Parts: sequence; structure tokens; C-alpha cells
Amino acid sequence: MRRLCIWATALLAAGAMLSASAAAATDPAPGLSATVDRAQISTQLGRSFEFRSTITNSGPNAASGLVAHLSVLSVREEPYVDPEDWSPQRVVFLDPIAAGGSRTLRWRMTAVDAGAFGVYVTVLSKDRSAAPAPNTPTIALRVSQRRTLNSGGILPLAIAVPALLGALAIMLRLRRRG
Amino acid sequence: MSAAVEARGIAKRYGTQVALEDLTFTVAAGEIVGVLGPNGAGKTTAIRILTTILRPDRGSFSVAGIPSTEPARIRARVGVLPESAGYPERQRGEEYLRFHARLFGHSSASARAVARALLEEVGLAERGRSLIETYSRGMRQRLGIARALVNDPAVVFLDEPTLGLDPAGQREILARVRALARERGASVLLSTHLLDEVEENCSRVLILNRAHVVAEGTVAEIVRRAAAARRGRIRVPPEDVERSLQTLSGSGAVQEVVAADGAAGWLTVQLAAPASGSADASLNAVVGVLVDAGVPLLACELEGARLSDAFLAVTGGA
Amino acid sequence: MSVHAGARERGGQPGWVVVLEQELRELWVAGRGLVLCFALSILLSALAYLAATNQALNFLEQRESVNLVVQVGMIVGALLALLAAADAISGERERGTLESLLVAPVSRRQLAGAKLLAALSLWLAAYVILVPYAWFLARDLGIVGTALVASFVVGTLLACFLASFGLLVSLFASSNRVSLSVSLFALLALFAPTQLPGGARQGWFADLLLHVNPVTSGERFVNRVIISGSGWGQEFGWLVSPLVAAALFGAGAVVLASRLRLGGGGAG
Repeated sequence: MRRLCIWATALLAAGAMLSASAAAATDPAPGLSATVDRAQISTQLGRSFEFRSTITNSGPNAASGLVAHLSVLSVREEPYVDPEDWSPQRVVFLDPIAAGGSRTLRWRMTAVDAGAFGVYVTVLSKDRSAAPAPNTPTIALRVSQRRTLNSGGILPLAIAVPALLGALAIMLRLRRRG
Repeated sequence: MSAAVEARGIAKRYGTQVALEDLTFTVAAGEIVGVLGPNGAGKTTAIRILTTILRPDRGSFSVAGIPSTEPARIRARVGVLPESAGYPERQRGEEYLRFHARLFGHSSASARAVARALLEEVGLAERGRSLIETYSRGMRQRLGIARALVNDPAVVFLDEPTLGLDPAGQREILARVRALARERGASVLLSTHLLDEVEENCSRVLILNRAHVVAEGTVAEIVRRAAAARRGRIRVPPEDVERSLQTLSGSGAVQEVVAADGAAGWLTVQLAAPASGSADASLNAVVGVLVDAGVPLLACELEGARLSDAFLAVTGGA
Repeated sequence: MSVHAGARERGGQPGWVVVLEQELRELWVAGRGLVLCFALSILLSALAYLAATNQALNFLEQRESVNLVVQVGMIVGALLALLAAADAISGERERGTLESLLVAPVSRRQLAGAKLLAALSLWLAAYVILVPYAWFLARDLGIVGTALVASFVVGTLLACFLASFGLLVSLFASSNRVSLSVSLFALLALFAPTQLPGGARQGWFADLLLHVNPVTSGERFVNRVIISGSGWGQEFGWLVSPLVAAALFGAGAVVLASRLRLGGGGAG
């Protein structure tokens, strides 16, 4: 019984140590965390929207060399997402954040495709490039379809305008010669 | 009354090339003045300066009493047919004249009336609604003359108006030029190579050569000053014709002598160019030869030299 | 002649108005302008049809299609104005009709100004043709007003700049061929940087070049406003070059027109 307790205690201690190191491995630059102000966004195709992300430095030292990067991905296979289409500014180089300080960034995006997407911000550290980067929670973005391309009527227009101009040109030319 | 055109010391250079030097002349109101000269003499440059297209480097001028310092006013009072006038091929003749009439301040209605009247005047009334591209060379020249008249000008400048025309066309154009001066009272400066026509139509002539004025005056004055009369007619008794022919043939005062009318005793004498003095002196020498030979002289007359002779003489045959 | 008797009936219009009317008549009634517009409409019809019937285009690509049609209309309209202006004086010189105009009581500035305005009518006509196509493609994207206003403003500035440039070349060119060649080459040289790949547009020199060049600058402005949805104030920096170019070359053309000579190259 006693031997069992010792082994259990040793196992628990080892487990705790492992957890601690794992937590340390996943733990961002000590004290850095990132949050967003919204959990989900619903919008229509073509509309613009905004959200804010806050990066907090809870560590004992100032955090410098930070880069915030906006990412967007589709939660389904279609459509293909090119982040460049969604926002012209996806990377922000941050000034040092003092210990205990925070920085809020405003991100503006345009919904260029319909569907279900995830949007999040990653904070990278240039100084500790090997360290895991803190991510904000993923914002669930739903973009509903909106009819933006109505091809009905293009053919008549495409024919009518040249036809009108051509007829006018011919008529005037004949009139001049007459 | 002020002169229609007055030029004083006009000079113009194109780079180092002298186009005109000290051009000085006047044109009286109602006069037709012929401007002659070899190619490159400065005729077109002179016309372009007087019509304010070019600015002279030196000198001054006035046209219709308006000084050269007021070019816009001069342009309003002159009509010009340029040497190498082009015409918009896709316009109709009447449309073309209407446009130019409106440029000179006519309203649309007035311009239409002016255009039709001018087309009538130059004999293009029936072709007024045709495209200019269908016009012959002669018709285009007539159209150009009509355009030069849209503003009822006081002075008309015609630069080679008969260029490229057949003899009939040339005569027609020059007839219109005479009518211009006669019926409208306009002064005309006519630049042309047709010396015969200048003799017939122009009251005065201005001859340019290598940028300079080399002769100015009436045709008779220029001929008298510039060229020796070359021909004379002498009448001797019929029985002395042969002797006269032999005597004159050997004389240095005569280039050629033929019996013009042997029965009547007339001899046509081609005089040699006098070493000095006038043509009269040449004929006097011929008379002296006959008198010395004892041939009675019944009559003698000097035939005037042509303008062409004078032209060649003053331009050095250029 | 009775029509000349007494004072000439006044009521004639200023010389530049007469010249402008005649130029417009030759351009539009004689049919040359309409043929050019017909060609433009064919091009726009093809582009608009391709864009409107491609359901695979995403929202952004649809905006890009609007931008493309608008830019083509703008650049072709400006090109037509440039070519008309480049022919304005050197063409008259070559056809032998300039001298007749110079002896008319119209100042050289008035003559050049009227021809410049007539050349700009080609841009206005191109814009009118562009409107239905832009409206059709942009209506469901909600950017009709943006597209039409931006293209009108930038297109007008570019047309003024290029037409003035063409007129300046025409004033001094020794032949019409030289005038048209120089003008066309200049347009191509100004347009070429718009085709640079994105990477080549980085750096201070590229940035300066893109800002200074009125064509690239105008193209960038329309691009940003239509595709990215940026505000006018935000992108106003891209409008400065077309504004300055239009004003500078426009004023230059009018001022230097007084030096119009019968012969090209300042001769005479």
C-alpha cells in the first residue's frame, strides 16, 4: 500500500512537472496574451466590418519586437481564401509594450466571399522567434450571400451601344456623300 | 490717301540664310503690282511678312493704312491666296467659305450669303455643295480666291495663283484678278512667274533677286532701265535691200538682219548688245553704218524689249 | 457686291467659338469621331460581357472588373484626346491649311485653345459611352456613383494633361508623323509602369515614380477607390499628380500657342 502511494506520488509529481513544462512550452512570451472584442460577426457579401484585438503584457519586463498578424481562413473547403483580398493591412509592427501595459489594434476587413470563416490575430515576437506565439480566440465570421452580379441584360447592352454608334456613323457618312 | 501697302527696310533671315534685305516699296490704292523673282528670291517671304504670318527681323510696313504693330487689324483687311494653299478635302466648297466668312465676323446667315455670292463670282456656284476633294486644281484656285475675298479686303495678296494650271485656267484666273481691282477697288499684289501676264495685267512690277529688290516701276520703266532693246525695223528703198543686208551683216552693231518685207524695203534688225549706252545708241550705230554706205534711210523704229528680257537682265539669267 | 455693301452685319461669334464649332463638326458630323467611339464601344462590350457572365468571380474580382472597364474607358478616351490634339496643328500644317487660318483675325492662342477643346470632346464622348457599362457592372456592388465620379474626375484630368501635351508637340513638330509618334510614345512610357508587378513597385524610387507619373497616379487612385473601397480623402495624394499635370500642361499649351509658326520646329 505504502509502495503504491509512493509510486502514485512520484507519478503525480512527474505529471505535474510535465504539465508545467508543456504549459511553459505553449505559454507565450511570458505574460503576453491577446484577446478580441467579438466572438462572432455576421455580415453580408461586400460589406466592411471591424473588430479590435488587445495585446496585454502581464510579464515583469517590457515586450518589444512584437508583430501582430491578421489571418482569415475558411472553415470549409470552399471558397479559397486569399487574405490579401480581405484586408489591405494584415501586419502591424508594435511599439514596445511596457510591463503591465496593453495595446489595442483596430482591424478593418471587407467580406469578399460568402461562407463561414474564422478570423484571428497572431502576435509574433522577433526577439523570441522560437517561442510559441499567442493567438486571439478565433472570431466566427459568417458572410451571407448577396447578389452582386446580375448578368441579365448585358447582351442587349453589349450589342445595342455599338450598333447605335455604328448606325449613326454610317448614316452621317452617307448623308455627307449624298 | 495713304498707300495700300508701304514697306520700309524689311529684312528677314532664316538662321544664316538671308531671305529679304531692305525691302522697300509702295503700292497705291487700286493698283495691281506684279512681284517677280526667281525661286528663292524672297517673294513668298515678303508676302508672308506683309500678311503678318511672319515677323520681320527689321523694318516696318503698313497695309491698308494700318501699321505693322497692329497685325490683327491688318489681317482683317487683307485677303491672301498662299502659294501652297491646301484645302480640307472633306468639306464642301460652300461650307469652307462659310467657315472663313464667320472667322471674319460674319453671322451664320450673313456668312451663307457671302459664300454663295463668292461662289457665283468665281464660277463655282454649281459646285458649292460638292466636296472639295472632287474639285480640279483650277477650281481649288478659284475657291482660294473666293476665300481671299470673304472679308472684302482692301489689299489682296495672290502668291502664284496660276501655279499648275493650264493656259486656259491661267487666263481665267488672271481675268478674275483684273476684275478684282476693277470692280472692288482692291489693290492686288500678284506673285507669279508668268511674265507675259504681268505685262498685260500689272500697272507696276517689283522684281526680287536673292533677297533684294533689283527693279521697281512700270513695265516700260523697268524694260528701259534694265534691258537694251534688241530689235529695230529699218526701211530702205527696195532696190537697196540687198546692199543693205550685205552692209549690215558685216557690221558689229548688228547680230542679225533679215528682210521683213523685201518689196517694201523693210528690214528687221537684231541689234547687238551695246557696250555702253542705251538701245537708241545701238540703232544709231546701225543708221550710221547705212549712211556711211550711202544707203538712203526712209524710216526706222525701235521695237521695245520684253519684260522677260528685263527680268533675265536684272536677275542675271538666274 | 451687295453682301459687302456698307458695314458687315455684326453678330458673328468670337473666333475661337467659330473654330471650335468647325472642329467639332469635322470630328463628329464628318464621322471620324463616331468611328472611334464605335471601336471603343466594341471593346467595352466585350469586356463587360465577359465580366458580367462569369459567375465564378468573387466579390472582389467583380469590383476589379468594374475597375478594368472603367480604366479602359478612361485610358482610351484620354488616348483619343491625345491623338486628336497631336494632329491639331501639325495636321493643318501638313495639309497646307494652316496658312489660311493664320491670316484670319483669330489669335494663335484662340486657335490652339479651340482645337484643344475639340480634342477633349473625344474624352467626353468616351465617358458617355462608358457610363452604361460601368452602371451595369457596378449597380449590384453598390459602387456606381463611386466608379462614375472617380472615372470622370481622373479621366478628365488625364485627358486635359495628355491633350495639352499632344497640342504642345503638335505646335512644334516638323511633321504630323513626328507629332503622332512622339505623343504615342509618351503615352506608352507613362502607361508602362502600371504594368509593373507588385514587387517592383516597392521602394522609395518606385513610389516616387508612381506618384509623379499622372497616369499611374490616376490609375492607382481609381483602383483604390473602386476595388479597396478607400475614401477620397484617404487617397487624395494620388490625385495631386494628375491635377498638377493637367494645370501645368494646359497652361503651357495656351501660353506657348502664341509661338505657333507656319513651319514646324519654331521655324519662320
